[in-house]
Amino acid sequence: MKEGFRQAMAWLHTWVGLIFGWLLFAIFLTGTLSYFKDEITHWMQPEVQAHPLDNARSLAMAQTYLQQQAPNAARWFITLPDSRQPGLSVMWQDKVDPGKRGNFIRKRLDSLAGSEVQARESMGGEFFYRFHFQLQMPYPWGRWLSTMAAMVMFIALITGIITHKKIFKDFFTFRPRKGQRSWLDGHNAVGVLVLPFHLMITYSSLVIFMSLVMPATIVASYGSTDAFFDDLFPATTNAPALGQPAPLLALGPMYDEARRQWGGGHVERLVVNNPGDVNASVNVIRAGSDRVVHDFGSVVSFNGASGEVVRVSTEQSLPMAISGSFYGLHMGHFAGPVLRWLYFICGLAGTAMIGTGLVIWLGKRQLKHAKTGVMPFELRLVEVLNIASMSGLMIAIGAFFWANRLLPVGFVERSNWEVQSFFIAWGLTVLHAMLRRGRQGWVEQLSLGALLFIGVPLLNALTTSQHLGVSLVQGDWAMAGFDLTCLGCGIFLAWAAWKMQHRAVAQPKAERARAMHLKGGVN
Amino acid sequence: MLLALLLCYVGFTALCLSTDRHHGELLHSKPSPNRRLALRLAGWLLLIVSIWPAVHTTDWGQGLVEWCAVLMCSALLLVLLLPYRPRLALILAGFSLLASPVAAVAIL
Repeated sequence: MKEGFRQAMAWLHTWVGLIFGWLLFAIFLTGTLSYFKDEITHWMQPEVQAHPLDNARSLAMAQTYLQQQAPNAARWFITLPDSRQPGLSVMWQDKVDPGKRGNFIRKRLDSLAGSEVQARESMGGEFFYRFHFQLQMPYPWGRWLSTMAAMVMFIALITGIITHKKIFKDFFTFRPRKGQRSWLDGHNAVGVLVLPFHLMITYSSLVIFMSLVMPATIVASYGSTDAFFDDLFPATTNAPALGQPAPLLALGPMYDEARRQWGGGHVERLVVNNPGDVNASVNVIRAGSDRVVHDFGSVVSFNGASGEVVRVSTEQSLPMAISGSFYGLHMGHFAGPVLRWLYFICGLAGTAMIGTGLVIWLGKRQLKHAKTGVMPFELRLVEVLNIASMSGLMIAIGAFFWANRLLPVGFVERSNWEVQSFFIAWGLTVLHAMLRRGRQGWVEQLSLGALLFIGVPLLNALTTSQHLGVSLVQGDWAMAGFDLTCLGCGIFLAWAAWKMQHRAVAQPKAERARAMHLKGGVN
Repeated sequence: MLLALLLCYVGFTALCLSTDRHHGELLHSKPSPNRRLALRLAGWLLLIVSIWPAVHTTDWGQGLVEWCAVLMCSALLLVLLLPYRPRLALILAGFSLLASPVAAVAIL
């Protein structure tokens, strides 16, 4: 009975892992990249210069700018630069007839000079972040599919713990250079060593989308999920405009007061409603990076004309705190540089666990057909998908970064074309994997990926003035870190390609040696 | 976070040495039952104690997250070092043990 149960779990682990493995690999890798979303965006928009932070000055400049450009707007949004994201961004909404929504206009300012910055159009790191849960599909299908993948991941994790029962006993075991054995060791090692992260990231992703996945309780007590969200996040009760003009006070003191209320917490955004009206209101919104437990509605509201505090948001309720803590843990907004890198490593470990699993599935079955050299269609299909989903995805990511530097700044639909080049490159790798024999396909794609990534710092040096020599000297760690990480990744891919090529030759030799040995034993 | 990392790494190395297989691989001998027990106890103790520096320098929420991250990554580091650079793995553990009092003084 017990053995039967374990076999059933192994079966589930094998097949569920295979069918969703390719998708999960992409979700995990792009999700891992999203931990450096702001840094990637910074690299992809090199026109936005990083300066030492001076929020009081930035805020004053933003206010002056908006006062000149949009004195009659319905609403202003000011996003201040922080240590990860150097741009000062302002946005305003035009005033239009009641009942209609005005247009939003967004500008990026230099945080030191206050002048407009013409940055190239690019989604930056936001692309990876969006892709990892929307999968470039229309709402809500992408979210549905990624949530389903998360559910499957959870099943695969639990069945995996049951299947690989020896993972806790062989906790420290990793034996490289032993073929199939090493892949299994690696799969188990990255699985069990980083297990808390895997469980946390998978479970929290389900919590984040719980209203999508399990709306029954919400619908039963609220009638619809919309009513639930209205109750959860009540529309900010900002006073309506009275039509009497009154000058808006300086935002600096309100910013300071809000920070004082939060005991030194940081500000993410300021929203000014009806600037220039006697009933203007200023909402200062707290940064999510302050605490592990994410609070969606931490706001201090002021009257913009008199400067008095109108409302301070209350402490969040316990259920909100629980859901906020899962959200916070998943996103890791609170993480400083070191912890962020640890998050990144854990994410890579998760990606590696999925990748090794896929390789093991195929390797086990390929052995049976090794002698004849002819692979049945289904194994060939898995092989093509393995190659395209792993090395192909790396090429696609590389192509995305290259497109960012090579597409002319004034190109129409530029940021769209960056995304297109990601998918075109990915599609081409599928074609390539179909045309080339397995190992050859791996070697060629890994080599191309290595070239693309090693080329990133060079490309950056050729096309911008922010190459490593400059960024390292200036202490622009996001820019330098991106270049160096790409370089490291390229070297890793080159190593992997070399390993693949090398083993293609070494393997038969070892096999032959073993065969000879066996023969000798028989004789 | 540094002290927590050092303690976790030493703790995992001790736990690793408390198994026959790894003790044999690293030190080329079979551990006596007493030694095995001592290593195991020391390992668990160090892992538990390492929570303290993590939460001491920040609050409990952030501290526990940091502790978990350090716990996972130190184990990952050890397991990756073991097959390729076993001596380095041991040297690092010795160094961590020596450096941890210094790190402890630094955060007090």
